[in-house]
Amino acid sequence: MFHVQHAAMATVFEIRGECRDPDVGRQAARAAFAVVDRLEQTLSRFIENSDISRINHLAAGESTIVGYETLQCLQLARLMYGQTAAAFDISLGTGFENLEIVPEEFRVVARAAGVRLDLGAIGKGYAVDRMADVLEDWEVSRALIHAGASSVLALDPKAGEEGWPLTLSEPGHNGRVLAKLSARQCALGASGISKGDHIVNGLVGEPVRSRTAAWVWAPRRVLADLGRRAGVDASAAAVADALSTAFMISSIDAIEAYCQSHDGIEAWILADTFLHFPGTSPLNTG
Amino acid sequence: MDHNKRSPRIDRRDFLKTTAAAGLALGSRSLVSAAGGTNDLRVALIGGGNQGMVLLESCQKIPNIRITALCDIWEEYRQKYASGRLRTYGYEHNAYTDIHEMLDKEKDRLDAAIVATPDFWHADHAVACLNAGLHVYCEKEMSNTLPNARRIVVAARESGKLLQVGHQRRSNPRYRFTYQKLLRENRLLGRITTATGQWNRSRQDPLTMPARYNMPPERLEKYGFRSMEQFLNWRWYRGLGGGPIVDLGSHQIDIFNWFLGARPASVMASGGTDYYSKDTHEWYDSVMAVFEYPTPDGTVRASYQTITTNGFGGYFELFLGDQGSLEISESSGRGKLYRDIANAPDWGSIVKQGLLREPEEAPRTQAPGVVLDVRETAPPPSYALPVQSTKLYHQPHLENFFDAIRGGVELNCTAEDGYETAVTVLKVNEAVERAGRVLFTPSDFEI
Repeated sequence: MFHVQHAAMATVFEIRGECRDPDVGRQAARAAFAVVDRLEQTLSRFIENSDISRINHLAAGESTIVGYETLQCLQLARLMYGQTAAAFDISLGTGFENLEIVPEEFRVVARAAGVRLDLGAIGKGYAVDRMADVLEDWEVSRALIHAGASSVLALDPKAGEEGWPLTLSEPGHNGRVLAKLSARQCALGASGISKGDHIVNGLVGEPVRSRTAAWVWAPRRVLADLGRRAGVDASAAAVADALSTAFMISSIDAIEAYCQSHDGIEAWILADTFLHFPGTSPLNTG
Repeated sequence: MDHNKRSPRIDRRDFLKTTAAAGLALGSRSLVSAAGGTNDLRVALIGGGNQGMVLLESCQKIPNIRITALCDIWEEYRQKYASGRLRTYGYEHNAYTDIHEMLDKEKDRLDAAIVATPDFWHADHAVACLNAGLHVYCEKEMSNTLPNARRIVVAARESGKLLQVGHQRRSNPRYRFTYQKLLRENRLLGRITTATGQWNRSRQDPLTMPARYNMPPERLEKYGFRSMEQFLNWRWYRGLGGGPIVDLGSHQIDIFNWFLGARPASVMASGGTDYYSKDTHEWYDSVMAVFEYPTPDGTVRASYQTITTNGFGGYFELFLGDQGSLEISESSGRGKLYRDIANAPDWGSIVKQGLLREPEEAPRTQAPGVVLDVRETAPPPSYALPVQSTKLYHQPHLENFFDAIRGGVELNCTAEDGYETAVTVLKVNEAVERAGRVLFTPSDFEI
């Protein structure tokens, strides 16, 4: 076993894995963390010369060129914006539709000023997906990767095991365990408001307070295929992130309908009661 | 925000059209370059490693640049990766392993080359490109040896081609503004007496790659490397790189030379491979240096440290004068001036001219007849720089290079500028070696 951590994007990234030579695992992890650091420079709205900062400074009619990874995140964000009837909105209600994305030129055009993007809801998941690319390039196939326990990607489990054992719990130190999962080749995204009003419902421009937490999980392949509709490289964790954020906002009916119409996607919502949307998930949720 | 005031949502069908197109459209830059036409510059990228990719990401954001050739010896990995990234950005190009083959076939179709290979190859690569009639952007350090750095200066002069050395802070708008407006024209620090800088970096293991990407030993040997390990970590090896004082320190010691408008007279330094294995870290993992600069205003002492075991404090430069202090860093947003309230004139007029931002702790408005609003201890006033840059760090320096090729602007870091910095920095390693003080003579800086 190897187990390594790295601080980035205002959270802790972690890899637990198993490989014949643990040193190879650690080398792979180091290379994966280097990718996260590079992504942070590009995707963070807190870094003055990141692609996202440049977009956030555009006046009406201005445009800027972004790099490949930023374009991928924007395309995925736009797909999920459409898929969730704007419940998932990286502009937090400041007008994502006012940004025109011109993929062939890597250009983002602002049709109006004042759009403020925050990739917080999918940037970590996207980073986790790119970490998986690195680990798999190193032929490290047995690993659990996560960012801050909320963007989780399970590759193969340890030898002889069914999956990586995970739980979903009520927020707080002694929260009751709500569900137990066994994860392999799947992604899991979690959102919640226990750290404050950080999820904004862009549809009404107010922080979400009516729900405590939302979780989404699905086979890696299902989520990656979803992202590919927008031309995005396999990004299961980013899609799970986007859905869990959206499901803090979407109506219960909409969540149910989404899970029913998307094979393999399963969700849980903690509001006044704990709701499970099994969809048509083939995953074993013991 | 009022729900009803939102613009109409994107129609789902329009959206699917857009995204479907996005999946297919990553291959062509024709739309962009067609708009550029004859103003396009055709550029070769020599070295597709990490730094080459950093420069590529900047080039991608500059209009009318076409990267039409790529050269990298690591066919098994880096050449493929860089080539893929070039295609993604729509740069139609040919990829080569051997620079001479590339120049033979491509030189008539190229305007310029970007050299981002290991330091010990810079001279051969830059000189070959200059002699092939190309303008050259050469990464710092110009070379790991001064004789080779001199070869670049001479080749630039003899070829009449432009040679920009990659000290990118020299084109950074915040640094240029600070130098010209605050230090030169308004002398806000008064007489500068002291400078200091650091680049502290946290502990890192040597770089590794999966074995299936290894180059064959013959190719490694042909290009001067004993092993893949040495190839990946060339910066730590004597004869190939110069260690952190050159990789990191050079950027900031270059700012000492530039901002002080002087060349050092001496340097003392202490350093060693204190932490890592000397087998893999032949150059010093920790260096502290003290320079003495004779300037027209008097002597300035400047200290610099780079350590590779703890990143506390990151990287920045400080300039201290009898009227104020400047902290500046390439790291975005880190740039402040502090007025010495006992010795400096008021900076109100400077703020009014827009050259500095209001102190962050401005005195509170007081009611008529009141002399003091009593409150929690106020810090002394600090002023932020009014200039921000949202471009990638290397973009303005590349733009300056490309603009200079098109004519009308001067290079911000010529071969001669880069050579002065190379002399200043490489002497630090010499001072560590001698465990003493190394003197510079004016002729050290001349070619």
